[in-house]
Amino acid sequence: MSVRRAAYAVAGLALAFVVLAPLTSIDAAQQAGLPLLTDKLWFRIATTVAMFVVMASAWNIIGGLTGYASFGNVAFFGLGAYTAGVVVTNLGLPFALALVLAPLVAAAFAVIVGIPLLRLRGHYFAVATLGVGVAVGEVVNNLEPLGAATGLFLPIVRSDLLFFYLMLGAALLAVLTTWVILRTRFGYGLLAIRENEEAAAVIGVNTTFYKVAAFCIAAALTGIAGAIFAQWNSFINQDNAFAISDNVQMILMAVIGGTGTVLGPVAGAISLELIIQTLAGGGSGSVFSQIGLGVLLAVCVIFIPRGVIDFFGGRSRLSLRYFRQTLRETSA
Amino acid sequence: MSLLAVREVSKRFGGVSALAGVSFEVERGDVMGVIGPNGAGKTTLLNCISGLYRPDTGDIRWETTSIRGLAPYRIARLGIGRTFQIVRPFPSMTVRENTAMGALFGRPGARLQPGAALSEADTVLDVVGLGEKRYYPVLRLTVPDRKRLEVARALAMRPRLLLLDEVMAGLNQVEIEQALEMVRRVRDSGVTIVLIEHVMKVIVGVCKRALVLNFGRTLVEGPPAEVLKDRRVIEAYLGQRYARDQER
Repeated sequence: MSVRRAAYAVAGLALAFVVLAPLTSIDAAQQAGLPLLTDKLWFRIATTVAMFVVMASAWNIIGGLTGYASFGNVAFFGLGAYTAGVVVTNLGLPFALALVLAPLVAAAFAVIVGIPLLRLRGHYFAVATLGVGVAVGEVVNNLEPLGAATGLFLPIVRSDLLFFYLMLGAALLAVLTTWVILRTRFGYGLLAIRENEEAAAVIGVNTTFYKVAAFCIAAALTGIAGAIFAQWNSFINQDNAFAISDNVQMILMAVIGGTGTVLGPVAGAISLELIIQTLAGGGSGSVFSQIGLGVLLAVCVIFIPRGVIDFFGGRSRLSLRYFRQTLRETSA
Repeated sequence: MSLLAVREVSKRFGGVSALAGVSFEVERGDVMGVIGPNGAGKTTLLNCISGLYRPDTGDIRWETTSIRGLAPYRIARLGIGRTFQIVRPFPSMTVRENTAMGALFGRPGARLQPGAALSEADTVLDVVGLGEKRYYPVLRLTVPDRKRLEVARALAMRPRLLLLDEVMAGLNQVEIEQALEMVRRVRDSGVTIVLIEHVMKVIVGVCKRALVLNFGRTLVEGPPAEVLKDRRVIEAYLGQRYARDQER
């Protein structure tokens, strides 16, 4: 029931977020003594948080539920972004169409790379997907119609609110998708694959289909986030659409929040992104931000390997017993 | 027509011939024991039947159709359940959830929903004697209980053929008696069984026929009591000299 309380707390925070978003202004931020949170930046941070909620939740579907730690999910983000770029800039079609096409392109790509790569396990899968992420970025970086190294410019749409709500919608979709998956036969199949793939196969789980399907769903969600990002940022290139650091970040968020849970990636994305923004606030502080993140990750993985959701949501917290038990269970 | 027919199946791993042309048939309602020294190819044989390995040559027939090279999940849904010698539970799930997974995915035909699968698990857990521990996390189970769980998960699939890979290894005398009782109950419910076992008491106790493998080949096949007295079998297990001494 304390898990439930934690869930309500997160839901409440998210709701407050949504309702308060349009009310935020420079004045309000200054009155509250928050010099950094001018409304422009506020929306930027809030939208970025929502974007990472999508990415971390989507990663959680393949990495957390299915147990395949993908380091190539950023390729889906980039493909989504470039799909939007091509639809809007090259073809001159409406952005709404891009929102439909981006997940389809990303999912199709997930099928193509998923069928061979999902035969690999553990580190091999991680390294292979990392390669795919880098490779797709390099290819795009050299394709003339996609702006090559210059990048691709999209017509600017000035509306902080629109992109915040779009990204929020995508985040809700990602969370809802995870929630639904975990309540269906499909979700149990994914968990079985994560826990023991051969055992799953001999009790009748079509492991190949399930893994590819999970990869596809993750890709589609990540692709949507990419498309929204492209129009929001109105400029995309290899560095911002295929950033390996984004991939690392989405994994950190899912892991710190709690893999395999519905709200873990959400909690991870919100807390980690806010920490990153705070640590990087001073400009020259970005070095400390990196160090701080590293320390945080090490501490989390060692002491609360099942994530903050589990830590705050259940059982005897802040006790040596909890740490010892989780250590034993996760190293078994 | 037999339920399962294995014909001249062979499987190589690099230079090692794990199975070199094994043939046998299993009739409906039979309990067949597979014995043989370590490395004889017993588990490889089970892996070939359940689809984890694809035989290099030969054929495996289920009633009238060939199942050679089918994906494991397809073979499972035809009604062939199996356990693993080294148990492979789903560690983050409870005993009940583990068992329900078999009912959820392994049924031929009708798809169960999670709720129905869980209540099915309760029935099966009572059969294998884990009813009281259904809400335990798997990690709290003892080795004998984990072996029972393997059987429960396979039974929840409602298989017509159950392949048991050393479910009695490491059990003490009392536990073996309980496990034997369980196997008999399963047999009496109409499930055909092929079991790999080193505990001869089990082979003699429940098996109608025994198949002895050695170096990937069939050494002897027949009623357990006769097979265990066969000189070739004693040689394979204990060496030629021991077999000679026995005959004197």
